[in-house]
Amino acid sequence: MKELVVENLSKVYFDPRLGERVTALDGVSLRITPGEFVAVAGPSGCGKTTLLNLIAGFLEPTSGRILLDGREIDGPGPDRGVVFQSYALFPWKTVLENVAFGPRMRGLPRAECEARARRWLELVGLGHVANRYPRELSGGMQQRVGVVRALANEPEILLMDEPFAAVDAQTRMTLQEELARIFEERRPTIFFITHDVNEAVFLADRVLVLSKGRLREEIPVPIPRPRRWAALVENDSFKALVGRVLQAVRTA
Amino acid sequence: MGPGPPDVTALERLLGLWLRAAERWRILATLGPFVPLLLLWWAVAAIELFPPAFFPGPLEVARRALELAWKGILGAYLEDSLIRLLVGAAAGIAVGLPLGLLLGLSDRAHRVLWPLVLFFQAIGDIAWLPILIVWFGFGLGTMTFVIVYTVMFPVLMNTALGVRSIPEVLPRAAASLGASRARILSEVVLPGALPNIITGLRNGLGFGWRALVAAEIIVGTSGIGFMMFDARRAGSVTEVVVGLAVLGIVWSIVDSWILAPLEKATGERWGLVAR
Repeated sequence: MKELVVENLSKVYFDPRLGERVTALDGVSLRITPGEFVAVAGPSGCGKTTLLNLIAGFLEPTSGRILLDGREIDGPGPDRGVVFQSYALFPWKTVLENVAFGPRMRGLPRAECEARARRWLELVGLGHVANRYPRELSGGMQQRVGVVRALANEPEILLMDEPFAAVDAQTRMTLQEELARIFEERRPTIFFITHDVNEAVFLADRVLVLSKGRLREEIPVPIPRPRRWAALVENDSFKALVGRVLQAVRTA
Repeated sequence: MGPGPPDVTALERLLGLWLRAAERWRILATLGPFVPLLLLWWAVAAIELFPPAFFPGPLEVARRALELAWKGILGAYLEDSLIRLLVGAAAGIAVGLPLGLLLGLSDRAHRVLWPLVLFFQAIGDIAWLPILIVWFGFGLGTMTFVIVYTVMFPVLMNTALGVRSIPEVLPRAAASLGASRARILSEVVLPGALPNIITGLRNGLGFGWRALVAAEIIVGTSGIGFMMFDARRAGSVTEVVVGLAVLGIVWSIVDSWILAPLEKATGERWGLVAR
């Protein structure tokens, strides 16, 4: 596992319709240590998705650097697994083929890729849909596949872009608990983007509040794990932290 | 008590029988509508509304078709036409598919080339014939050019459209799972655009078939189009009508038995691609 360092990162777009430059990200610096769960919370348009896209390598920074294990990143790569809000599963591949995609791109033998994909699917209780196509699954199940597809490729860090925003409220809580359980068992490094303050506090070790392209506040979440909703909804320190993050998001 | 529902009339009974039969034997549903048309044709020919030499009836046309088939002329000409179509279409796809991928993948190529594509596809294939005859003469070169030209544009334009309609997150997902550019092309771009590519192919072949017949009429030395024009020269309207019928029948079969099911299958399997 390797450390992710973001140094003084800025992204300025030229908006051809407005005819002017728009600053999406303005001198952001942060550091994520191995095995840490960091959430970025902020209103829409605050630059949080731009930040994730830069770390993923989908966009090039205007200035600043992103280092993974001391090396500057150059475009997308399998060391940074991404989970998308819209799932981004390949519709013409079965669930199993989707999960086996990453290992297959690394040139592992097909049988080994499929065995590994099957193990991961079993882990989240999706073994029975391995041969289905994504469109045959509910949104919640599709996103489980999305998470497993990223994890099965064993990235150094998992980048999650509002992954549970498109599913219904009940499924969302289940998925959050599943992610918490996976994190508690395997301790991957996770960088998580969300506009849902409850979600950020429930999942993360640390919540960063982003607004108008700048990091405004950093709030540690010292709530012990395992974390489950049933125990936390009425927990006073949880509620106090949610209140603090909410305050930071709204005044930022 | 009010009046009950009216009894089922004989006509309704007949209609129900027909619908059930058509559901069981799909071919009936396809051929059914032709029965009244053939009867009307037969009736108009039988009362000799027009002189029989100008307006042959269906039986006469069928007899002539069998004669031509028996002599081997119909089969040989049809084979010539279909081989030309396949060779020309293969060349058209070989040119149109890579160009379509380029236009779909590169914004710059799209900006520069799209206006040219629109301009040249607007010029009908047949409109090229006068100058093609000067360049290539009456023969295979001219016909091949016309088919390649006709098949190329629908394939090119639909491929570009298909590539551009792939959601941005799919190539991104592939890249962050470790796929190289070449693998993104073969694993994401091509399968993602496939339903559109098949649609382009179906349209292209359909246009190509029509263009081929037109080219054969003007510059052909064999083929169904040539047969029809040759028959006109010999004054055999019956043979011209045989040609018309063959064109329609052959393409209906190719389209509804091969191309349409292929298009439907890819579209369905790919499902949510074009959300």
